[in-house]
Amino acid sequence: MEITSEDPGLVARVAGLTKSYGSGSTAVTALDNVSVGIRKSEFTAIMGPSGSGKSTLMHIMAGLDSVTSGRVWIGSTDITGLDDTELTMIRRRRVGFVFQSFNLVPTLDIRGNIMLPFELDGRSPSDDDRRWIDELVASLGLAPRMSHRPHELSGGQQQRVAIARALGSRPDLVFADEPTGNLDSRTSREVLSLLATASSSYGQSIAMVTHDPIAASYADRIIFLADGKVIEDRGRSTASDISQYMLGMEQVA
Amino acid sequence: MNGFTVREHIPSILVATLSSAFGVSLLQVTTNLSILIAADDVTGASGTVQFILAIIAFVFIVIATYVGSIVTANTFATIIAGRTRTIALMRIIGVTAASQRRVVANEGLTVGIIGAISGLVLGTLATAVLIMVSVRTGFIPSLAYTFLEPIVLIPIFGVLLTTWFASRVGSRRVLTVSPMQATGAAIEESQEQAAGHRGRNAVAIVLFAFGTVILGLGVVVGLVSPAGVMIGVLGGILSFTGLVLGAQLVMPPALTLVGRMLGASPSAKLAAQNAVRYPERSSRTTIGLVIGVTLVTMFAVATAGFQQMVDIARANEPAVYEGIDQVLTITVVVFSVLIGFSALIAAVGMVNNLSLSVLQRTRELGLLRALGFTARQLRAMIRAESAQLVIASVLVGFTLGIAYGWAGAQSMLGSMNGSPGLILPVVPLWLLGVVVIVAAVLTVAASIIPARRATRITPIVALAVD
Repeated sequence: MEITSEDPGLVARVAGLTKSYGSGSTAVTALDNVSVGIRKSEFTAIMGPSGSGKSTLMHIMAGLDSVTSGRVWIGSTDITGLDDTELTMIRRRRVGFVFQSFNLVPTLDIRGNIMLPFELDGRSPSDDDRRWIDELVASLGLAPRMSHRPHELSGGQQQRVAIARALGSRPDLVFADEPTGNLDSRTSREVLSLLATASSSYGQSIAMVTHDPIAASYADRIIFLADGKVIEDRGRSTASDISQYMLGMEQVA
Repeated sequence: MNGFTVREHIPSILVATLSSAFGVSLLQVTTNLSILIAADDVTGASGTVQFILAIIAFVFIVIATYVGSIVTANTFATIIAGRTRTIALMRIIGVTAASQRRVVANEGLTVGIIGAISGLVLGTLATAVLIMVSVRTGFIPSLAYTFLEPIVLIPIFGVLLTTWFASRVGSRRVLTVSPMQATGAAIEESQEQAAGHRGRNAVAIVLFAFGTVILGLGVVVGLVSPAGVMIGVLGGILSFTGLVLGAQLVMPPALTLVGRMLGASPSAKLAAQNAVRYPERSSRTTIGLVIGVTLVTMFAVATAGFQQMVDIARANEPAVYEGIDQVLTITVVVFSVLIGFSALIAAVGMVNNLSLSVLQRTRELGLLRALGFTARQLRAMIRAESAQLVIASVLVGFTLGIAYGWAGAQSMLGSMNGSPGLILPVVPLWLLGVVVIVAAVLTVAASIIPARRATRITPIVALAVD
């Protein structure tokens, strides 16, 4: 997939992205000349075995890590050369995160965690924002939990709070890093359905890093990475197709 | 075995060294003062003066050692909290909790030995320099001053044993680590167990109430006889012990109150929560400083009270009170310096605690960075936490000091010739100034290293699966 000019259908993209760690003979290339874009309002899964560079790709797209060469955009903003504070502002206003674990600030209650993006930005949510958050909280079944602390909630509930926080400020793009990695299979399905619904019903753009074929089967599009390169980019697939493909990758490698 | 890292123990070694140096030097100074007094024709051979000097020296050494051991116990508890995963891993492969705890206690013993000995060297050097300078400038005559009297072994062994003991107390948490915590399945522990202290709290409240009643009695008796001060001292010691013992009842509300005053910015709000996150830990961190501020304030307020009573009394009977001002000023300066040393030890504990808590919150701070906290906001948060700890300790200490100082002056001098009877507490303005400045300096100083550490954390650590 060639990315040259600005594309209004892309919410984030990288071009000619290379990331290496270390130098000289010990240098490791995590990403090797990758060019890829995340489409607006789609649920995209980024898949690959351990060490394929999928997490590094997400970190760089989200403005968390620097590049060795290449360029990175969030929407039409080139974030490649931004300094720490500018990147922080991008994360604060335009990006949401759901991590595998340790998603929530332990000293804040659930309401405090969900409202944190607004707090950080020093603005109080508009009536419209409030309606949206109330709707999210209700649909995630968190309403009775709002004044609880994170440690009083189960792993699945904590992950739902993280999703509410990430969706609450309606960011351009939500990054989810192995969001089901710590959950049992039933809770995993719930969380994945939530993410898929957020994308299909509300048009939320989501990029999810995972190595789980079942998780990836909830996505509209799947990008496969191996050894720091994009090796496949396909539409919605079943878990068994994805598994087949990954097994094939292993055998070729 | 658990990776004894010197770096972790530097603060404890520093605290032990300071306590030991203070004790050694103070005893050497009083011993040599006795030699000096014995050589003096007028006061010579007065055993009483030497005895009183020794008693005073020991009181200050006990205070310093006590504060030092609270700080050390706290530091060890915090270190253990940070080692939970490693300890759990050792438990999984079959190491008993008791032997794990022994390892920690051995580290405490090592820290105690290093601190006690370096304190001996440092303290002796300080005394030697002091005496040399005094002799050179002709302030004191050149006599056969001694340094290594057997008596200096007392603070050395005192520090060694209290450090060892403090490490054992601080390592109690080892026993509560479950092997499950190594698997990562356990959720990060959010609240230290506050249960099991009901007995201690009850004792604390009883001591405080009982002591306060006796203190009041001392004030009343003081109106008719100077012996009131003896009753007052007893009441003061009892009620203050109650307060120190019940710190976890007093400090968290004080911290919460101060936290509210910090404002409503996200960094201030989070800081306010963090300072009371582990109520016990923050109580222990702050109590050392509370003790220091209380004592300094107490002496200053008591002296100002004396001064006022003396002024009034002097107006009535000028001849009796000649030359007393200078004595009072010197007394308060000397006492403040001696107590200030305990406050210094407490401050080391505070800096260290803040540093360790930043280290232990790496992922949480990374999460905040990922969610959009700027480096500046993170620094502001750490500074606010520091301010909260310092301001709360200073306010509590200041209040207590005024109360005790007033009671002291009142019970001792309420009955003296020409005394006005009951007076209001006198708070010297210079004391207010010093307290504000010290609080500001300490807040900034305690947060420099932790804040720098915190801003070096990248948001990626929050995403990492450990």
